[in-house]
Amino acid sequence: MRLPQYFLFRLLQMIPIALFIVVINFALIHIAPGDVSILLAGEGADPAYMQSVREAYGLDRPLYQQLGAYLGQVLQGDLGLSFRTREPVIDIIAERIPATLLLAGTSLVLASVAGVVIGALVARRPGSAMDTAVTTLSISLFSIPVFWLGLMLILLFAVTLRWLPSSGMMSIAGPREGIGHVLDIARHMVLPVVALSAVWLGQYVRLSRASVSETLAEPYVTTARAIGYPERRVMSRFALRNAMLPIVTVLGLELGMLLSGAVLTETVFSWPGLGRLIYEAILSRDTPVIMGAFLIMSFTVMLAALLTDLLYAALDPRVSL
Amino acid sequence: MTPALNRTIGAVTRSLPGALSLIILAVIIGLAISAPFLPIPDPAAMEFDLYQSPSTDHWLGTDNYGRDIYSRVVWGARVALTVALGAAFLSILLGSALGAVAGYFGGTVDGLLSRVFDIFLLIPTFFLILLIVALFGASLPLTIVAIALTTWPRSARLMRSQVLTLKSRVYVQAALAAGAPQWWVILRHVIPNGIAPIITDGTILMGMAILTEAGLSFLGLGDQNMVSWGSMIFEGQRHLRLAPWMSIAPGVALLLLVASLNLLGDQINFAMNPQLRTRGGAPRKRASVAPPADEPAPSDTTPILEVENLRLEYRTPDRRVTAVDGVSFSLPRGGSLGIVGESGCGKSSLGSALLQTMPNNAEMTAGTIRFDGRAIVLDGKPVVEKGRSRIDQLRWKRLATIFQSAMNALNPVTTVRRQMIDALRLHKPDIKTSEAAARIGEVFDMIGIPRSRMNAYPHQLSGGMRQRAMIALSLILEPDLVIADEPTTALDMLIQDQILGEIADLRARLNLSLILVSHDMGAVAESCDVVAVMYAGRIVEIAPTRAIFDNPAHPYTRTLIGSLPSLTGPLEELKSLPATETAAAAASEGCRFAHACPSATELCRTTPPPVVALSDGHRSECHFARDLAFADTREATG
Ligand code: SF4
Repeated sequence: MRLPQYFLFRLLQMIPIALFIVVINFALIHIAPGDVSILLAGEGADPAYMQSVREAYGLDRPLYQQLGAYLGQVLQGDLGLSFRTREPVIDIIAERIPATLLLAGTSLVLASVAGVVIGALVARRPGSAMDTAVTTLSISLFSIPVFWLGLMLILLFAVTLRWLPSSGMMSIAGPREGIGHVLDIARHMVLPVVALSAVWLGQYVRLSRASVSETLAEPYVTTARAIGYPERRVMSRFALRNAMLPIVTVLGLELGMLLSGAVLTETVFSWPGLGRLIYEAILSRDTPVIMGAFLIMSFTVMLAALLTDLLYAALDPRVSL
Repeated sequence: MTPALNRTIGAVTRSLPGALSLIILAVIIGLAISAPFLPIPDPAAMEFDLYQSPSTDHWLGTDNYGRDIYSRVVWGARVALTVALGAAFLSILLGSALGAVAGYFGGTVDGLLSRVFDIFLLIPTFFLILLIVALFGASLPLTIVAIALTTWPRSARLMRSQVLTLKSRVYVQAALAAGAPQWWVILRHVIPNGIAPIITDGTILMGMAILTEAGLSFLGLGDQNMVSWGSMIFEGQRHLRLAPWMSIAPGVALLLLVASLNLLGDQINFAMNPQLRTRGGAPRKRASVAPPADEPAPSDTTPILEVENLRLEYRTPDRRVTAVDGVSFSLPRGGSLGIVGESGCGKSSLGSALLQTMPNNAEMTAGTIRFDGRAIVLDGKPVVEKGRSRIDQLRWKRLATIFQSAMNALNPVTTVRRQMIDALRLHKPDIKTSEAAARIGEVFDMIGIPRSRMNAYPHQLSGGMRQRAMIALSLILEPDLVIADEPTTALDMLIQDQILGEIADLRARLNLSLILVSHDMGAVAESCDVVAVMYAGRIVEIAPTRAIFDNPAHPYTRTLIGSLPSLTGPLEELKSLPATETAAAAASEGCRFAHACPSATELCRTTPPPVVALSDGHRSECHFARDLAFADTREATG
């Protein structure tokens, strides 16, 4: 199979999962206490809008027809209106995605690169005092509640030392274009990125430590040493290259878990992304937004899993396309 | 308590992180249980001293309502532990039940359930829990149930794979054969055996549950009727500038509890699989020696390899195992030696010592190895000359190896041709691309791999072809000596024969010296001039191939050859002799084979046998070597 075909094939495989997630959403709305139309339209919506929601979702028809109607709405990208702002949920979410991508993407790159390097270094001396120290430290790192770490960073660097801004993505009266704008955003990013990547770093160090030490025990590494490769090359060409495979897999699988950290971090730092949006929606009981965000997050994770799959296929010749 | 459990607990408590996390857990659990009886204020009692910083009256200060933070942290521990235990218990219960069912019944049930496990892995659990709690209203029991409902596939997958391995085990089959109903068999045998790794995972699950609950509370979805650390931070955040202690204390408590749970899980995991901690790694620095001063220049008659009294030990924290116990032999240039023995006899350890590729927990404790007259190991220490170890100067150019390629001996992510070019370039940096290509083609032809398969990855080749590729790789730099470790094991008989034939053929053509390590007497007979039989770390008999087959002078050699029909019984048992028993045999006072030897006498059990030289190049370590060598073997064969 060629790569595009493989991609298509994997995409098709995702359809039942996507359906499953939409059905979960639908089921939750119906099991939840309270009137379904209120959940879908939001509390205190005006009667005319409430009526239009009832019709769109066919709320007076049998359940299976409602499911059909709901699926239809979701497929059209219609996730309803935010009850707070009366804007379409899909637009509100789309508007917030770039900020989240910026924050989560930067942290992910930082954490994974640093984590793989540190983990690989430690894997060279398994069982050493250094190994125990780094392992213990990285376990402690990912045991820190990320929102609390964020608060502590704000306390130290924003409140006490006054080095960095504590919240938002840009200064209120700051420059809106050019290098000044970029630097302004960068300054705002420092603390949230540190908080988020510190917690992720712990995961990647452990993952890479385990994966690299496993490959270092593989027969092909012994072959490489018998051939006479210097240890640096044994590490880069043989051990790391092979150790990347499980790391990439886990990276894809744990993305959902990682995203929850991003949401909490955004909340602490008032970062104007999806996470902050969810928090605001919870505070104002804006259920359409919460449900929409869950759907979008789920689809994102699926997409990430798909991309991981492709990356894996590109890295490992044993995956037959 | 089983000894394995005892050992695990011992190992966990002995390690610093393990002991530390157990102490922290004990303190937190102790405080949580005794909270109602402690002389601390009611966590909800409001006083007039708002925003008090920590003092002797209020150890951790007071909050915006004047409530005592220390008391709230202690009461918060109850919530955290309730969430941890409740969610982990429900999740494991649900997960292992479904996992066991999937693994046990297999077929459609398994297919369907496995699919569900996979889908759940792709759902961002935190958001699902968040959605559930947002829709149904925040309450602690709901949070616990929601966490369990989204995390159970972890345990389910673990249990499923446990059950799959366990159900093929003999005792389960036996119970089924005895007519026990299936559900009873699952409960009685499979679950108790499969639960261990799930419990380990449980500590991690608990950590996740606590962090999830804290995250929800921090987003304002905490149970309003309880004091939870997450909601304390939620409130503290608004008063961060005025009263930072409001958020510091509960966060530290969260960190301590979750970290000690995770560390504990990690320690248990390591204690149950100790090799996880020590396996792999880069080769450690070993003590080395300078080359001897008076080394005669090699002549034509100098053996290519000489080994004297070589010893190799494996060291674990609590014991030492001698794998090679005083081995000596000499291999003439162009000669071939087969080293035969069952697994655990030390033959592969010997091979790794010759190549100096042994794992870090192995150590040569004595012995000398000379390659072409030059010492590469002296007194068990590698010889270093001008800052470079002598073995490194020999690698691949003069001393190459063939590993069993079914075992991933070739890099799986690189093409065969690439691996050859890299090896060639490593030792001949100036070689031209065209020359390299020509050389590779030459070796491929020689070994019988079609040139069209050159760009294949190892996994794309058949077992036989992959083994040939390994041989081709070993020959690429025209070495003098090749050490082949089980080069044909795991191949089918026909291919085995072909490859052994080709090795023998190449050896003659290239004037190669060969050491062939194998468990198979037949394989060795086909391609070697001399055969050494190893048992429990020693060469118990060595002789030219003809001599050893015609006049085996050691009872163990006889069982290997199978020339004595009366010994086929013991041979079956020998095949499965575990390595630890071999080690015990090595430690025994008299002859190390006495426990299994059909000819053993009282003498054998008390006195180690001498080395008996029988004829030219024929040595045997047995009290009765002479009697055996000259006994009429026809009686046995006929
Ligand atoms: S010395 Fe005794 S026990 Fe050992 S092999 Fe010979 S006969 Fe058997």
